Formats: sequence, C-alpha cells, structure tokens
Amino acid sequence: MLKKEIIYRNPLVKLGYEQEDILLNGGLGAVMAHAGVGKTALLVQVALNMMIREESVLHVSLQDAVSNVDLWYREMFHNIAGSFTEPEIQEYWDKIQPYRFIMTFRVESFSVPTLEERLTDLLQQNIFKPHTVIIDGLRFDQAGREQLLLLKELAKKYAMRIWFTVHAHRHEPPADNGLPVSFLHVADLFDVIVQLEAKGDEVYIKALKGQSADAKQHSLLLDPATMLIKEGK
Amino acid sequence: MQMDDVKIRNIGISAHIDSGKTTLTERILFYTKRIHAIHDVKGKDGVGATMDSMELEKERGITIASAATYCEWNGYEINIIDTPGHVDFTIEVERSLRVLDGAILVLCAVGGVQSQSITVDLQMKRYKVPSIAFINKCDRSGANPFRVIDQLRAKLGHNALAMQIPIGLETDLEGVVDLISMKALYFDGDNGEVIRMEDIPEKLLAEAKSRREELIDAASMFSDELTEAILEGDEITPDMIYAAVRKGTLKREITPVYMGSAYKNKAVQPLLDGVNHLLPCPSEVENVALDMEKNEEPVVLENDPDKPIVALAFKLEDGKYGQLTYIRVYQGTVSKGSTIVNVRSGKKVKVGRVVRMHADQMEEVEELKSGYIGALFGIECSSGDTFVSSGINLTMTSMYVPKPVISLAISPKDNKSQMAMSKALNRFSKEDPTFKTFVDQETNETIIEGMGELHLDIYVERMRREYGADVETGNPRVAYRETITQRADFNYTHKKQTGGAGQFGRIAGYIEPITDAEFIFDNQIFGGSIPTQYIPACEKGFKQSMEKGPKLEFPITGVKVVINDGAFHAVDSSDMAFQAAARGAFREAYSRAKPVVHEPIMKVVVETPPEFQGAVMGLLNQRRGMIVGSQDEGTMCVVESQVPLSEMFGFSTVLRSSTQGKAQFTMEFAQYRLVPQSIAEKIALEVAQNKKTAA
Repeated sequence: MLKKEIIYRNPLVKLGYEQEDILLNGGLGAVMAHAGVGKTALLVQVALNMMIREESVLHVSLQDAVSNVDLWYREMFHNIAGSFTEPEIQEYWDKIQPYRFIMTFRVESFSVPTLEERLTDLLQQNIFKPHTVIIDGLRFDQAGREQLLLLKELAKKYAMRIWFTVHAHRHEPPADNGLPVSFLHVADLFDVIVQLEAKGDEVYIKALKGQSADAKQHSLLLDPATMLIKEGK
Repeated sequence: MQMDDVKIRNIGISAHIDSGKTTLTERILFYTKRIHAIHDVKGKDGVGATMDSMELEKERGITIASAATYCEWNGYEINIIDTPGHVDFTIEVERSLRVLDGAILVLCAVGGVQSQSITVDLQMKRYKVPSIAFINKCDRSGANPFRVIDQLRAKLGHNALAMQIPIGLETDLEGVVDLISMKALYFDGDNGEVIRMEDIPEKLLAEAKSRREELIDAASMFSDELTEAILEGDEITPDMIYAAVRKGTLKREITPVYMGSAYKNKAVQPLLDGVNHLLPCPSEVENVALDMEKNEEPVVLENDPDKPIVALAFKLEDGKYGQLTYIRVYQGTVSKGSTIVNVRSGKKVKVGRVVRMHADQMEEVEELKSGYIGALFGIECSSGDTFVSSGINLTMTSMYVPKPVISLAISPKDNKSQMAMSKALNRFSKEDPTFKTFVDQETNETIIEGMGELHLDIYVERMRREYGADVETGNPRVAYRETITQRADFNYTHKKQTGGAGQFGRIAGYIEPITDAEFIFDNQIFGGSIPTQYIPACEKGFKQSMEKGPKLEFPITGVKVVINDGAFHAVDSSDMAFQAAARGAFREAYSRAKPVVHEPIMKVVVETPPEFQGAVMGLLNQRRGMIVGSQDEGTMCVVESQVPLSEMFGFSTVLRSSTQGKAQFTMEFAQYRLVPQSIAEKIALEVAQNKKTAA
C-alpha cells in the first residue's frame, strides 16, 4: 500500500517523464530553482521513489550534515506516508533505508577523483552500489565544464545516473531559454532539466528538457507545507 | 534573590573523551588555589589529575564517576562536577546536568564538534542548561578555533559568539585578545598564573575590531540599552556587553566561546571570569518538583534557605568512612543535626556530618543552603532519592533512565570473593540506575546488566580493585526480545483431578501485537463466565508468560491480551487454576501469533582520518552494520552507522588495529529491530545449546 502511495506521488512521472527511470545510465538531470523553493525536497522524493523500487541511491550533499540529510528523508517519508500508522511507517522505513547512502563533503574539498575514491571503497567491499546519485549543493557558477564532463564519465563508468540541484540566483536574469546564465555553459550535458518556480504562495514545477514529446504537460504544484506534489488547478 | 546566592555557580564540564576536560578542571583548581601543584591526566609523576580520584580512572586516563568539588574565583563560589566523557557512562552525565545550573562545553580545537559533543549537547538541551564553550588545545597542530565555532553553528545550531581571538596558534599560541576589554592577555609564570595585559598586537587589531563588532551586534538583540548606545554612538561599556550576552546565554540563545590551551596554561582564567559573568546563579534557574499528594502536580521551588528543605541525592560513593551522598539543595537549608525525610522510603534521617567535596578530599561545614552542592555522611539512600523536611511530600522529577542492553554472568572464585562481590553489586546498583543485577533462577548465575561492554568491564574491574572480589565473567549476552506479529485466538481449559482438590479454569480470547506499550490486559468478559475475583489471577498468569518466551526464553514485549469468555467450577476453580489456565492459553496462542525476535541496534559513530574511511566502512559492513552515511570534516571524517549490538563485541580492538589507533568510536542504543531469519536460527541453536549445557 505504502509502495503504491509513493509511486502515485512520483513527481516526475506526473510531469510527463513516462519512463520509470527517467534518466538512463550515464545520464545527468538537474532540478533548478531559487534558494528555499524546494530543490532538495523534490530530489528526496525522486530518491524515495527509487528506494522503494529497491534501487540504491547515493545522496551526496555539499551543504548539510549526514543527520540533516537523513532528517530530510524521514520527514518526506512521513509526509508521504501520513495516512499510515507509525509502526507501519517504521517497518517500511527499516526496509528501504539500506537502499540509501549519504555522503557529505565540504564544498571546498569536493572533487570528482575524491568521489570516485569513496565510491570504489564502497564498490570493492560490496557495501553499496548506487543506481542513482544525487548531488546537492554543487556550485555551477564555480564548477567548470570539465568537472561536469568527469561526472558524466563517472556515471557512465559505473552505470549510474546523476541528479543535481542547481541554484538559480535571484539577482541573475535568466537567458532566453529560461535557464540561468551561470548554467548555460553546461546545459547541453544534461538530459533532463526541471525547474521549480515560486509564484506567490505556490510553487510550480516545469519540465524544461527531456520529457517525452507526446506527454501532456501538466501544471504541477508543490505544496509548501509538506513540500509534496499536489495536482494543479 | 539573596545577596550571597548571586555569587554561586553550579557548573559542569562536559565534553568528548580526550578533549581535555579533566586537565582543564585541574588548571581551574590550581588557579583558584584549591590545589598547589598540577598533575597531568596520564602524568609521569604517577599522581594523576586531582579530579580523577578513582584508581582505575587514573590508569585509563578517563573520568568515570563525576567527582564534585568547589572553588572560589574573584569572590564567586563555583561548584564543579567533572563528568565522564565516554557514552557508556551517559547516565552520569545526565545526572550531573540535572543538578547543574550551567555548563562549560569543552571542545578540541583540532577535532571540533565530535559525535559525543552532539550527544552531550542534546542532554544539555533536554535539561535546558545554559552553556559557554571553551575551545581547548589551541596549541595543537591543526588547531582552528573559528572552524570549531562554525561547527557549533552548523552542527549544533548554537549562536556561537567568539569572546576572544587567539594570539598565534599551534606552537605559536601566546595568549588571547579579550574582545570586551580589547586588551591582549598573556599568561606568564611557571604555570601561567601571572596575567599580563597589553595592547592588542597591530596585526590582530583589525580582526579584533571586526569580531568585537560581530559580538556586540549579536548581543544587542538582548539589550535595549546596548542597542541605544550603538545607535547614539555612546560609549559601550564592558558591563553593557556582559549583561546582554548573559541574557542571551541564559535563554540558550547565545553560546559565548572562549579559547586557549589548558595543558599549556593559556587563557583558563578568562574562562573563569566568563563563568562568573555569564552563567546563571541558582535563583535564575527554575527548578520544578512534583507534589506526591496532588497527583504529581509540578511545583516550582524557591531558592530560599528559610523554606522547607528539598534536596536531591545525585551521586553515591563508598568512602573510607561509609557512604558519601552527594546532594544538591534546591530549597531550604540542610544543616548538621537536622532531620530530613527520604521521600521514596518515607524514612526519617538525622543529618550527621555535612561536607563540601574537593574530589576525594573533604571539608566539613555546618550547613548547605539552597543552591549549594555538598555531601552527607552516613545516609542510607539510593541515587536519585529526594530528601525533604517533615510535612511536605515533594519529589524531584524522575530522571530518564535507559534500559540496559547487555548482560554478563559473573561468578566469584572463592567464598571471600562471594561476600565482596555481593557488597560491590549492592553498592553499584545503588550508585548507577543503569547498572542492574539479579540471579537467574534457572542457572543460578549472578547476572549484571548495563549500557555497553565498557560499562560492565569497568564495574567488574572496580569489583576486583576496590572490593577485592575475584570474579570470573561469562560471555556478554545481548538483551534480545520476542514479540508477536499477528493476532491469534485461544480457548484453553486447565483441568486437573489427581486426588485431593481439583483444579479447573477455562479462558478464551485473543492476543495481538501492539507497539506503544509492553503489555496490555483487556478484560471484556460480561455475564460472569469468569468470576471477577479470578480476573487478577488471569492477568498475573499472562504477565508471568511474558517474562520468558516459550521457545527462545527471551522476554516478550508488545502484546495485548483480550479475554472475552471462560468457564469456572464452583469447587475446583481457584486463583492458582486460573493462573495456570492463562499460562496455557498464552502458550497455545503464542506459537500461532508468528513470534519474532528483536535485537538491540546501536548507533555507532566512528571518527577516522580519511585514509582509513574505506577500512572502517568495511569493518562496519562485516558486522551487519548499515552505514547511514559518511561525512567529510577536513582532517577527519565521520562514519555514521547502525550496527546490531551482538556484532559489536571486541570492536574497539579491531578498530584500533585497522586504523593504527587513529580512529575512535562512540556507541549508543538506537532501537530494537527484527533479527534476520538466518541469525534468528543461529540464536535458536545457541539457546538450545545453552539449555543442554545447563542441564
């Protein structure tokens, strides 16, 4: 039941990305928004969706401590599973938690070779093999194209897909295609781009790149109270 | 507020193991002239630090039991409780925090906010203890106090404010700049006892000014007077800043940060000034007791020495002259010769000698007024008991006591040891509520229970050293639990007619799993199929069954029993017959209710240099550990995991050898979780084996 509830709530399938995986092996995806709009919340939902399908998610955070990231997952999971009893939630959480691994780095010490080194630690000892990686907090205005190319290579090498949060600065006017100027130099490397936009009290989600051509574009809203997707008007 | 109360500080010194809190306490005692020589924790002189009074503590270089002591600094009386750093002794830390008004959180300038600092901080939050931080070991290579301040903000959510900046760091540490007086402080003399005050060195002036600005800015949130002075451009006096920072500190909205190196005798005295200026006096802290006569209604105590006595015994120690009971007086005055009542037992006790402690030396006093911490001699009580004046019935809020997760069988080697062991066990279980002991009725073994391997190790060691009890220990055993996973009905008749009075009782109903209680008994019998007088016997029978599962013999938890039908016999039914019927009914239903075994899962946090991260994760993984994540902290990285307790025996040795002794770990109970099938089978085999051996 709980599994159905999470799949039902999968924001990206609702947005017109019909494939379950959305990203293929070696693919890169981005969720972009201004600060505080809900990038992490959205990607945590994507991760939870993977976890219940028994696909492993490596969550790399460059801004939060392990305990904070863990709290994000627990909160989101509780929000999604709100109608179930506490023991049911706990039991299911215990079941899916092993499919998640959190790794945190300081922004200044994060590099692709370091990530690969850590990843090999996990793979060689058969501790964890990620299907999807989430990288939260990478500064695209500072990260060169080179770093992104390395990450794309890494994704291919280990048969993973990588999701990023992209921070769009408020003071920065978007380019013609709606993307932040500081992101343009790497935009072509991404297979899927999703944008979150706050309008008044509501947060809209828009697919900017990669959804299936015949998919009907839904108008999707993020409920600011629970940070969950709700159907638009 | 009484005048003398304003100048009392009851403080604790809490921190991660090895961040140097015992050394810091030692220096405090030296500067306040309570001791006249300094001994190091693991000193070459073989004396050991003054606060580590237990022989074992001196040997292992860790503080186990919190020794209380008092000292004076610039006219203020400071009572200090030195608290243990290892998480296995957390109950001691919690107990200390219960009686404190404020605390110094000691942090290492290199290691920063470590996992146990987080645990200790949570405990401080729970008991709402205001704190100031001291960043120690600024003389060590890699020291960076401002990184630690950032960690205080990011990891613990403190509004940490530097009160000083260091003059030099690592081997060049010379002193500190006080951001309130804007003076450079140097510490001269053999032991840093001579404070030299000079102008701020030119190269630090700009940084000092900007940090002072930050400090004043944050402090102004708590003082209109200070805000006004800033806006009007008036002179900002030290008093103004202290008053504002103090307000924020008492609300736990500011954490003032001092820094230095206790070992190198740098900047301990300004920290003491900080204690005087910024931590609360007893009247500023609200203490609540529970009124036993009014259904445990909370009563706010008044810190008034003339009111009836309310005092809490927070620590017991076996001294040369009998039991020494550490008490904190919350209200009234406990004086020599007065009579007090132990609320738990109702016994009246006459107060004999009253002393103030300085680690294991003492000073006799006439009385202890409200707000003070001291010790009484010859009082028979348990730790956590409340003492009051005759006529009132208040108890201090009971402390949260976690349940033991590990047990060990112990047996004395000879008769002499037998006596000594029972004396020691009696004392330890009185001293420490997380340490429990009982005799297993089947195997006749004495079992001790506690919070971790090290916890029990220390007590066994103390038994040998302090009581001369030579004991052998068995393998540690994990406290598994059984529970059911589905509803099962029962309808059981207990019938016995073999001469003499017969026995008859029938009980019908069902058992089902529950999560929010250990055991619920629900009587839904209407119409008297079981007469009311036998219902308690039924409940008792079910409760007895819960003590041990029928197969694996672990305690059963999380069961609701509902009885809704039954039958009795006018002559043959009895309490005993219904108890037996209940036990039979439980056995019948239990196997059909899909019983499972749960095991304690520990939160294990390992701090290691990054080069050993892979090895550490491998070790945890081999132990059925689930790694929650790894955190990069620059010079160190932290691996957080959840590991079954049964897999953690001997972990410290393995960790040491795999990391060249550079990693350390903390472990605390997290939750009970279902045991995987393969392990459950192994446990069942072991239990069967043990039974065979016992037979």
